[in-house]
Amino acid sequence: MRTLPPLADHRVLGPTQTALALALVSEMELLRLKTLARWYARGLPPDMAWDDLLQEALTRVLTGARQRPEDVPMVAFLAGVMRSLRAEHWRRFNKGGFHRGWHRDSTVHLDQSQNESETSELADPTPGPERTVIAKQELARIRRLFEGDTVALAIIAGLSDGRSAEQIRAAKAISKTDYDSARRRMRRILLREGLTCAPRR
Amino acid sequence: MCAKKVAVINALDRVLDGLGEELIEASDEEIMAAARELGMDPTMRGSAAFLGLKYPLLRHPSDFFEGFDLQGLLPAPAPRLDGPATEPPLEGSRRRKKN
Repeated sequence: MRTLPPLADHRVLGPTQTALALALVSEMELLRLKTLARWYARGLPPDMAWDDLLQEALTRVLTGARQRPEDVPMVAFLAGVMRSLRAEHWRRFNKGGFHRGWHRDSTVHLDQSQNESETSELADPTPGPERTVIAKQELARIRRLFEGDTVALAIIAGLSDGRSAEQIRAAKAISKTDYDSARRRMRRILLREGLTCAPRR
Repeated sequence: MCAKKVAVINALDRVLDGLGEELIEASDEEIMAAARELGMDPTMRGSAAFLGLKYPLLRHPSDFFEGFDLQGLLPAPAPRLDGPATEPPLEGSRRRKKN
């Protein structure tokens, strides 16, 4: 008789083990985190900058508010935390506006009474007009980054419509080679944009 | 009207998520190349590439305790670019020898 394979083990690391893993994060991973934080901070209200977003994610992880599954790499895990913090921050912002939201001088506002894993992934049901305007502006800025690159712009249009890579390639008749070359060009621009010290374009 | 608003917001989220994956998957070589294009040298401590990052300011235990090795405590540690800290301890931090 065949035995069923064991269910996937989702063992999570404790705060101490996570702190050790963070202490071992390489310089390249730190730079990757910086580019990710700058990227995910796009479209956030002005009271939350990229460094606040990264710092908040690190704090959540170090305090154990977010627990890392053993098999998820640190950078991918922190990227996920930053993504969910975006949604959480907009919810707080919609409740309190600029005056009652998070501020640069008080970045850490932990509310452990909330069950974050349940609440943080929920979409904001009633986005305010500010969020829509900021989202529109940000999409335009992102398109400007790849101005003149028709394949890259097609990829962005496809992503914004929720299409997969295969669907984008099929819809725009892009070969796999051209698609992969465009992705490389895009990564280069995204990395340059993420590493620069200049304000965002 | 609300559906339109949500559509724009979702579009931005999808673009950020999709291209964020590209950043997660970017190789170390690509990061180095991008930094060099900006005239930065991430192999140097205090490189402009790290500007704004507060985390690297936290010191590692090996910076204070000779022979302290975190590597043995975790199964697969990430390699450090510049290798283990080899800076000599500060003059003031040395203990005086008793005569």
